[in-house]
Amino acid sequence: MKASKKTLASLIVIGFLLILAACGGDDSVNGNNEGAEEGSANKITIFQSKVEISDQLQALAKEYTEETGVEVEVVGTTGDDYFQQLQIQLNTDQGPSIFSLQHVKEAEKLESYLYDMSDEDYVANIAPNMELALDGKVVGVPYGVEGFGLVYNKDLVSPEDVADLDSFVSTLEKLNDEGINGLGLAQDAYFLIGHISNYPFSIQDDHFEFIDQLSAGEVTMAETPEFQEFGEFFDAIKANTKNPLDVTYDEEIGDFATGKTAMIHQGNWAYGMLEEYDLDFEVGMLPFPLNGNDKLAVGVGNNWAINGTKDESEIQAASDFINWLVSSEVGQRYIVEEFGFVPAMTNIEANDLDPLSQAVFEASNSGETIPWAQNYYPANVVPNDMTPAAQDFFLNEEMTGQEFIENLDVAWQKSVK
Amino acid sequence: MAKRKNWGWYALFVVPLLVIFVTVVIVPFIIGIFYSFFEWDGIRSNPMMPVGIENYIQLFSDSRFLDSAWITIKFTVLAVIAVNVVGLTFALLVTSKLRTANIARTFVFMPYLIGGLLLGYIWKFVFSDVFVMIGEWTGLDTIFFNWLMHPDYALYALVIVFTWQMAGYIMIIYIAGIQSIPGEVIEAAKIDGASLWQRNRRIIFPLLMPSFTISLFLTLSLGFKIYDTNLSLTGGGPANATELFAMNIYNEIFGYANYGYGQAKAVIFFIIIAVISLTQVYITKKREVEMQ
Repeated sequence: MKASKKTLASLIVIGFLLILAACGGDDSVNGNNEGAEEGSANKITIFQSKVEISDQLQALAKEYTEETGVEVEVVGTTGDDYFQQLQIQLNTDQGPSIFSLQHVKEAEKLESYLYDMSDEDYVANIAPNMELALDGKVVGVPYGVEGFGLVYNKDLVSPEDVADLDSFVSTLEKLNDEGINGLGLAQDAYFLIGHISNYPFSIQDDHFEFIDQLSAGEVTMAETPEFQEFGEFFDAIKANTKNPLDVTYDEEIGDFATGKTAMIHQGNWAYGMLEEYDLDFEVGMLPFPLNGNDKLAVGVGNNWAINGTKDESEIQAASDFINWLVSSEVGQRYIVEEFGFVPAMTNIEANDLDPLSQAVFEASNSGETIPWAQNYYPANVVPNDMTPAAQDFFLNEEMTGQEFIENLDVAWQKSVK
Repeated sequence: MAKRKNWGWYALFVVPLLVIFVTVVIVPFIIGIFYSFFEWDGIRSNPMMPVGIENYIQLFSDSRFLDSAWITIKFTVLAVIAVNVVGLTFALLVTSKLRTANIARTFVFMPYLIGGLLLGYIWKFVFSDVFVMIGEWTGLDTIFFNWLMHPDYALYALVIVFTWQMAGYIMIIYIAGIQSIPGEVIEAAKIDGASLWQRNRRIIFPLLMPSFTISLFLTLSLGFKIYDTNLSLTGGGPANATELFAMNIYNEIFGYANYGYGQAKAVIFFIIIAVISLTQVYITKKREVEMQ
């Protein structure tokens, strides 16, 4: 009797100790952070959305740790729902020290978390107008500039084949007759409609103003000539190419690399994957000829931002890392060679770019570009509303391009509501 | 003395669980209801605006939510029927004197051990590649096409995958029920000349009622709450045709950043599941018979 009572008592004690120990775990972590406040923190975390560079970033983090002793943890990323994941992490106070933002709309949403970088040295080297700014403060350093357009197989297509709507349509028809898929899109939100939807916005005189008017309901896409022509392009795409809903990103690139597809609507980032195939043809990038457009769409796809709610030492450490990334030899080499970015910093030189990046780089340098209107779209409009509309269009045989544009109007209004 | 000792044992086993249950279920649940009366984007440092019950009123004119509700009901009805029919059939088969009963049992149960997310990806491949290939080979492309591309068939695809996953688990419950039916009752029925169908209908099914209660309850609530397979198999597509309740709520909160409104949906979602499940348990419980 007495013995069993003792056992019971000790069991209870052990139970509570376990609970306490579990709860205590957090405290000790916090304690460490506070202790390190004077100097620079010795650990930062990075959570970023570009799946293509995660391995390389891991390697870079290792080199940084070897050089400076600061531990850099790169948190794996999932791609499509990155921003939602980031939001969850920030809300639970487990946010990373460095994260990525795609554009000013995301920056607006997370304004209270952003560290003002305006006074940091590296900001001065950002190429003109390429920094991520919010209310006059610099809050993001661009990864690099990126551009998209029609990535084409030089054996199958020549630039004059896709100079305007008529030639574009006849080229698709001709290729279709030859059993070649004229233009490849893919089922994922941005490759189905997101990127390609930029053109009718970007070729407006002032796309900011146009988008504001559209959101306010003062203009509609259906009544704007550029969009009407865009609808005709989509008619031609639906009639003459493989249904993009059946195509994954990998298949889109794979079919292009093996010559089954003549053109894909992609950006310079796609070259990383194309390289894995032994291409037996030359590739190039052409502007999407909407309304006779002859410029590539070039912009900044991602920006490094620092979590301003962390304690000072961690912010400093994060800032040091970004400085090292864009200023040191190793960091710059990684940006150009390993990440395959077209640099958006004036102090980084780019040699030996792949053909697609070269095209973007040249366009960017000469100023012959149209902007990325998507950076000013209502938040999440592409995955939330435009993608279902586009899926509807490609599933429904009878729907015309004009009806599709009208549906896009509806979709847009849903997102700004 | 003895009583105090018992109290100690109770505390030892109950308190840790109670603490966990309160912190991860009860507290978030109450906070969730609280949030549903605000207009808020889910970012803690941004202001929350109290709007009373407006979120709840708005629900009834939200066509996407109502569509999603209808699709969810359709899915759940189909899934409950399919899972239970398949599960019960297999349970009856493997408790009969089949030589391969044990192997069959293992194989039917196995899909349950694979996570719904993985299962979704596996079946996505089956539907979008294997089906298309079969269609090309056999020429039966009216049946074997990419189901995930068709608004209705995508939902059926979801039902098939859910059945594939859950039938084995439900089968185990039915097996346990069938095995607890005393052999002499069945034998007596046999001697009286009852056919297989009569034995099932008059003896086994009534005595199996407790298993029906639990199986129906599980499939109903799991069917309503399904998210993982939905996400990996169809992602809600095509054109939102398979956006079930849970996914609709997730998209509302994280896609459109309407945290309060999404919470209101979640509260309604909870009430619907609770009402339907409890009604079902009440009805089937009444039909349970006790062995004397």
